[in-house]
Formats: sequence, C-alpha cells, structure tokens
Amino acid sequence: MAVSSHELIAGFADPVQASQQVFRAALKVMSEPGTRVEVDYVEQAPKGLDLSTWQLALSLLDPDTRVWLSPTLASSDAVISNLRFHCQCPLVEFPKDADFAIALNTELPQLAELNWGSAEYPDRSTTLVVQVPALSAEPFWTLSGPGIEHTRSLRIAGLPDAFRAELIKSRQRFPLGIDTFWCCDNRLTALPRTTKIEPRTTAIEPLNTEQEAC
Amino acid sequence: MSTATGYNFAYLDEQSKRMIRRAILKGVAIPGYQVPFGGREMPLPHGWGTGGMQVTASVIGETDKLKVIDQGADDTTNAVSIRRFFAHTAGVETTEQTADATLIQTRHRIPERPLQADQILIYQVPIPEPLRFIEPRESETRKMHALSEYGAMQVKLYEDVARFGHIATSYDYPVMVNNRYMMDPSPIPKFDNPKMSMMPALQLFGAGFEKRIYAVPPFTQVESLDFDDHPFEVQSWDEACAICGSDHSFLDEVITDDNGSKMFVCSDTDYCRERVEQGFVGTAADLPIADLSIAEVETN
Repeated sequence: MAVSSHELIAGFADPVQASQQVFRAALKVMSEPGTRVEVDYVEQAPKGLDLSTWQLALSLLDPDTRVWLSPTLASSDAVISNLRFHCQCPLVEFPKDADFAIALNTELPQLAELNWGSAEYPDRSTTLVVQVPALSAEPFWTLSGPGIEHTRSLRIAGLPDAFRAELIKSRQRFPLGIDTFWCCDNRLTALPRTTKIEPRTTAIEPLNTEQEAC
Repeated sequence: MSTATGYNFAYLDEQSKRMIRRAILKGVAIPGYQVPFGGREMPLPHGWGTGGMQVTASVIGETDKLKVIDQGADDTTNAVSIRRFFAHTAGVETTEQTADATLIQTRHRIPERPLQADQILIYQVPIPEPLRFIEPRESETRKMHALSEYGAMQVKLYEDVARFGHIATSYDYPVMVNNRYMMDPSPIPKFDNPKMSMMPALQLFGAGFEKRIYAVPPFTQVESLDFDDHPFEVQSWDEACAICGSDHSFLDEVITDDNGSKMFVCSDTDYCRERVEQGFVGTAADLPIADLSIAEVETN
C-alpha cells in the first residue's frame, strides 16, 4: 500500500526531545513492570492507533525494525501511511518476522506465532505492543519479579482468556519470551518476559463485560 | 542549551540513539544478558568510556542532571572530560552530588550514598563477558550462557581457594543476576557488589569496544558467586579515611611523600565531602589539607 498523503498527520513537534522523553517513559515501565505512565508529546494519532502506541512508534521504530500489524491496523490507510512516512519501517506479513508486533486486543496473534528469540540470542525476540480498552492498578494480576520490590497490581482489560493463560505460561520458557507494551489512550505500561503474573483466584465482579477468570 | 554547533543533541544521531535505546529495552527485559549493539565511534578512544557514553547519550534529556565519576572521584580526567562533553553537546546541568543527579555515569565504582528510585547508574565496561578469560570464543560463551553452564567460573574461584586459601578475586567479581545470567559487574571492587542487589535505581552497562549493552532493573537479585565454606566477603580496612574518618567506605591508599608515608582516603569524593560538611573529621584534620589543595591548584 502506498503512502496516501491526505492521511498524513504531524509527528513530534520536537522529534529529538520527544523521542527521548517517550523512550524514558518506555524504559521506566519496562524496568518497573506494571507501573503506568502518561505520554503527551503529540496531539493526535493516526485513526486506529492510540496516542501512546503512536508515540512509541515515533520513538522506537525506523527502517531497521520490521513491523507486523494486526489485520484492522494493517488495512488502515491512515496507520500504514503514517508509519511508512514517519518511521519508514518495513511491514511484514507474518508476526514471526517482526521485531515489533502492534495489535488490537481483539486481534491478538497467538504468542507462539511471534519470534521468541533463540537460546543464544534471546534479545532477537518480537516486542508485542497491544492496544487495550483499560489499564488500572486493580488487583486482577499480582506481578512480581525484577523491577518490582514486593508485588504490584495490574489490570489489563479486554484480553481473551486464552491469551492471558498463554502469557502467564510463557514465563516458563525464560530466557526466551515476549516483551510487551500495553497502550491505552495516552497511557503506557509494560510487562517484560521476567515478570511473573499471579492471577486472582477468588471470584470478582468483572469491570467490563468480558469474563476475567484465567 | 547545547553550546556545540553542528552536532545533534548529546552528539549521537537519532537513528543510532534509537538502535541503542532498543538494545537497552531488551537488556532490561533480560537482566544480565549482554545485548549486542552497533557501537559507534565516539570522539575519544575506546577504553575511555565510549560504551557508557553511548548509553548516556541515548538516555539523557534536557531535564537530566548528570554526574560522572571515575574510581569514585568527580575530579579526575576521565570524569571531567565526559561531564564537559555532555555539558557541551547536550547542554545539560551537571553536578558532583550523588543525591542531586538523575544520571550517574561511572567508571569502576558505585557511589557510597544509596541510590534512589528513578536515578540511573550507567557503568563503563571494558570487558562485558565474565567468561572471556576462561573461554576466548564468543560462540562458546554464548552457548555457556544459553545453557547456564557456569561451572568453569566456580572452578576458577576454587583455584583461588586452593592457591591462596581464600577467593582472591577482588574486583570484576562475577555475579548471578536474577538467578539466571552470570554477569560481569565491570571492574568495580567487590566491596560494591552487594550494593547492586535490590538497588532501587536502574543500572545500565555499556561496553563500547565489545559493543554490548546489559542491564539490571531496580529491585533485582544480584548474587556474588561463592562457596558454602568460603562465603563471599568484601574488603575491609584497619584504617579510617584520613579526611572524614569514615570506617565503612571504600578507601584509596595515597602515597604522600618520597619516604613512603601514606594515608587512606575515601574513594568516593562526594561522600567524603558530605561527611566533612557534616562535621566528621579524620586523623589528617590537623594536617595542612587546605595547603595541599592550594598546591594542587598551583601545579594545575
């Protein structure tokens, strides 16, 4: 798909400083998993992308990063045109080939479809960026591991049960694994492969319509 | 504002920074694992902290306050040059005070004052591979890390015990990060090793010559290797700092004249200064320290 110039929007007003600030936000959430930060260096995002997803893309993607988009995003002229124009990142057809996979919560690839890296080079894995309807500190998941002093609570809304189970189970394959960013509007959090996830076992009132048990 | 013209903010171009930033994120996600990156030429030779500088250049922003130490001191050549470099190319504020700094680039020491959450400690690393002197082939050390096959290092430490009766490795002392990866803590004295574990600050490591980046996230277990019957121990001194009287910091031995007279002083100059300001004094309080510093200024 070619770049449609009428779909293009402005990127960072100050690309050098804003990229640095967004990277520091990403570094903060990746090194302190489950903390939520807000990033506000753009006024708008291409239709279909959340503000935080768009800012992550502007900060981290370039011609060296292969990107996979989930079907709705991949068929959006606005998303593709802006990624091509601002990041010049090559888009790939299969998640396995991607350095970054950007997905809607309703169109998540199976974790097994992504690149997990190799035993010698676990860093060559795909980083998964997921757009979700809500992020909060409600104690649905209890997180522990590097970057967390004791435990931290996190609720990521709108994930299919099967995906939650897969994500929790994926910890067993460390050091192979998938590092994830979670985007919601201008908010951002991350769960690297080291974060252990303890799902809440007692029954709770679901916040949204979807069932939260996993 | 940056006073250097013709350069990007903090010297490196944006694409290089993005590449290094992605490597840092992977390093943080796999604590202790060495992420290869495309090391860039910096305007000073390898061995002078180019790895740490590339990490600092990629992390630093306009609002950061940078401290640079070399063997604990803020006023040695390497520290002064790197601090000036970033003051010049990034226009950031610099400081000598550990408590004030948001970023601390260090060569071979961890400050005595405990670091806080949201500070970032950036180590300059000469040789990132702890197994390199045991196994020179990168292809093999990769496999050893992949299989967590670290027996060879225990043998090396055991050879110390067999020869000297104790583990004689005093710096560059290997650690296990998060119970998985063996890591070279850069040549910090083993005195500093315990500070790495469960540190509230983020620790980043940059090796310019070997082109590796690795990281220890905050509150991550870092254990120094040892044996049940030869537990890990840090250095201790019979002396106290001659300037501030500290008996719990890492001390440098300083020769003071041609007759071999010597004194011991804190290696962390900022910590020593802070203690002197708090009213602590050492045995050299009656010595003409003030005169010494004047003499130094004159020879400069």
